[in-house]
Amino acid sequence: MDLGRSWALIFLIVELVFFSLAAKGFLSLRVFQMVFFFGVTVFLLGVAELFVIITGGIDLSVGYIVGFASIISSRFVALFLQTGMSTLPALLLGIFLTLAIGLLPGLVSGLLIAKLRVPPFIATFSMLGITHGVSELLILNGAVNMPKLSTLFGNGYFLYWAPGPGLSLFVRPEIPRGGFILELIPNIVVVAFVVIGILSFMLKRTVFGQYTYAIGGNVDAAIRSGINVSRHTVKIYMLSSFLASLTGIIYVMMYVKGKGDAGASNLLDSIAAVVIGGASLYGGKGTVWRTILGALIIAILETGLRVMGIPTFDKYIIVGIILISAVLIDKIFPDKTYMDTKE
Amino acid sequence: MAFIARNWAAFFLLGFLILFSFTGKGFLSVTNFQNVGHLAVIAILMASAETFVIITSGIDLSIGFVMGFSSVTAGKIIQILYAAGGGISPGISIAIGIVIVLILSLIPGLVSGVLIARYKVPPFIATMGMWGITNGIALKICKGFPVATLPEVLTRIGNGYIIYIKPGGGISFFSLPHGVGNESIREYIRLIPYSFIFVGLILLVLWHLLRNTTFGQHTYAIGGNEEAAVRAGINVKLHLVKIYILSSFIAGLAGIFNVFQTGIGNFTPFGAMYELFAVSAVVIGGASLMGGKGSIFGSVIGVFLIAFLENGLLISGVVPFYRFIAVGLLLIIAVVIDQLFPDLL
Repeated sequence: MDLGRSWALIFLIVELVFFSLAAKGFLSLRVFQMVFFFGVTVFLLGVAELFVIITGGIDLSVGYIVGFASIISSRFVALFLQTGMSTLPALLLGIFLTLAIGLLPGLVSGLLIAKLRVPPFIATFSMLGITHGVSELLILNGAVNMPKLSTLFGNGYFLYWAPGPGLSLFVRPEIPRGGFILELIPNIVVVAFVVIGILSFMLKRTVFGQYTYAIGGNVDAAIRSGINVSRHTVKIYMLSSFLASLTGIIYVMMYVKGKGDAGASNLLDSIAAVVIGGASLYGGKGTVWRTILGALIIAILETGLRVMGIPTFDKYIIVGIILISAVLIDKIFPDKTYMDTKE
Repeated sequence: MAFIARNWAAFFLLGFLILFSFTGKGFLSVTNFQNVGHLAVIAILMASAETFVIITSGIDLSIGFVMGFSSVTAGKIIQILYAAGGGISPGISIAIGIVIVLILSLIPGLVSGVLIARYKVPPFIATMGMWGITNGIALKICKGFPVATLPEVLTRIGNGYIIYIKPGGGISFFSLPHGVGNESIREYIRLIPYSFIFVGLILLVLWHLLRNTTFGQHTYAIGGNEEAAVRAGINVKLHLVKIYILSSFIAGLAGIFNVFQTGIGNFTPFGAMYELFAVSAVVIGGASLMGGKGSIFGSVIGVFLIAFLENGLLISGVVPFYRFIAVGLLLIIAVVIDQLFPDLL
């Protein structure tokens, strides 16, 4: 058996078995959905980071773009509501504008990296600084609340079933207090996985994906085969920035208020997810579903520890250890299906 | 032109100093400059640690959290010994705390150094792993709260000055005159904080190490061209391990200073980004992430550029959050200048 490739899956299973035995109440539909619900941030940021890492780059700014987007989206929506717009159009327009503006940090760092040859680490850190500064300035006078509709969506479920009213989509049926209701698949998980599915398709089956791998595998070869490398690099950083903004919008839908450092602590998690998923920081390797696997390992760890009542401090230690082990295992059992051109 | 480009950070610093002297009341004063220096001590230590690592074309993301680990651990040890009483004077408990923590702070660097040198783990990942581990351990030790109730003498040393002058009233050394309470400290002109002596000595040692010793030569050699360094007979692996241990050790020192400065053991919050600001200062100071370039002096200029910018904006009544934006812009300038004048150094 090729241990080098399947260790992450094995680890995931071991983790599941461990928490099922050790954490009372872990093995339940509610906790299982919780893993995905709170995991959405790491799923999306992990995939954002994956595209960048495949090209051999890194994006430090994603965490603070999350915060930035969470703040500007609530600002926009509040502004539109003030002008007398009704809730749904205000919400949609606000989200649309946020996603559009959210492309900017990626555009700038992409241009810096592609045209001016600024190292990705520096370019994206400067964008981190700028987005962080701007978002703190925007909430100097306090953050604004998102309308109730958005919070309902952010914390709602795709499918409800209750004995009386039966099945219903999106709308929670009225049931007597304490009555039984089955809530299935949180809305934001649906949104995240639709996006992730599209991205996986893009990476695997489209020219966009081919170019991404090609650039990371060998830049010179990519240039010689006629790929517009600098243009593609800019697109990659814009994609990453876009996904981070989407995460910010989801954040504000979950938590009502925007926060400048909303995603700050997720940088380690998202890069760890990518590396645990078998990608190499030297570029050219990695897939979306393996990254999701890596992110799931972290999400289960976090939820499992929470259910056990252990403070999540241990999470950082364990993630650090898994992160290092992931690279070590890849060194000890090199993956023969890929060509490591740069190591 | 090339001279200005090479020293742009120093010229920028000069420009800011002149600008803020006009816009900020009280900016141009000994007290303010001492305060800026005192508050920049940790950033200076972090940046000099990062300088060594970056010259070898590596990066150390763990230093901010190694510092938090060191601060919290030192605080905890001193707290326990101090509370135990039983003939252990505050001085001894502090000394024991410092020694233990300095030894412990070698470990993260040793681990990431071995991973990087021996197992070829990318520095980014190895030190990011140590970031998680040291942060988790620090939070476990302090349970998420700062470690308080430490001897009061800590802050007296950490924030003390060598010279105290009462205008028209005489001069006293090392502490306020006997019998004068802390409440009247504002009547005194205070000169030369102890922290300047502390950081000055460390900088002198590190500067000498990098500039005048074989250790420094090897550091530049590895960053310039690792293969050539191997062929020239340098034990690159061993040297890399030493570099990461050094970086971790300096972060440990910063953590201890942090205890003296604040009087409590502090864990490092995520938003602090000590390591990223340190990398920025080093790059603004003229180093390249590709390795082979950089100096302690340049990095210190980089730190002061950020520190004075922040202080000047604050005194001029600008919201401090512009600091983040300013650092971002400075970084871009740094790298663009580096691209435009590639043959420097």
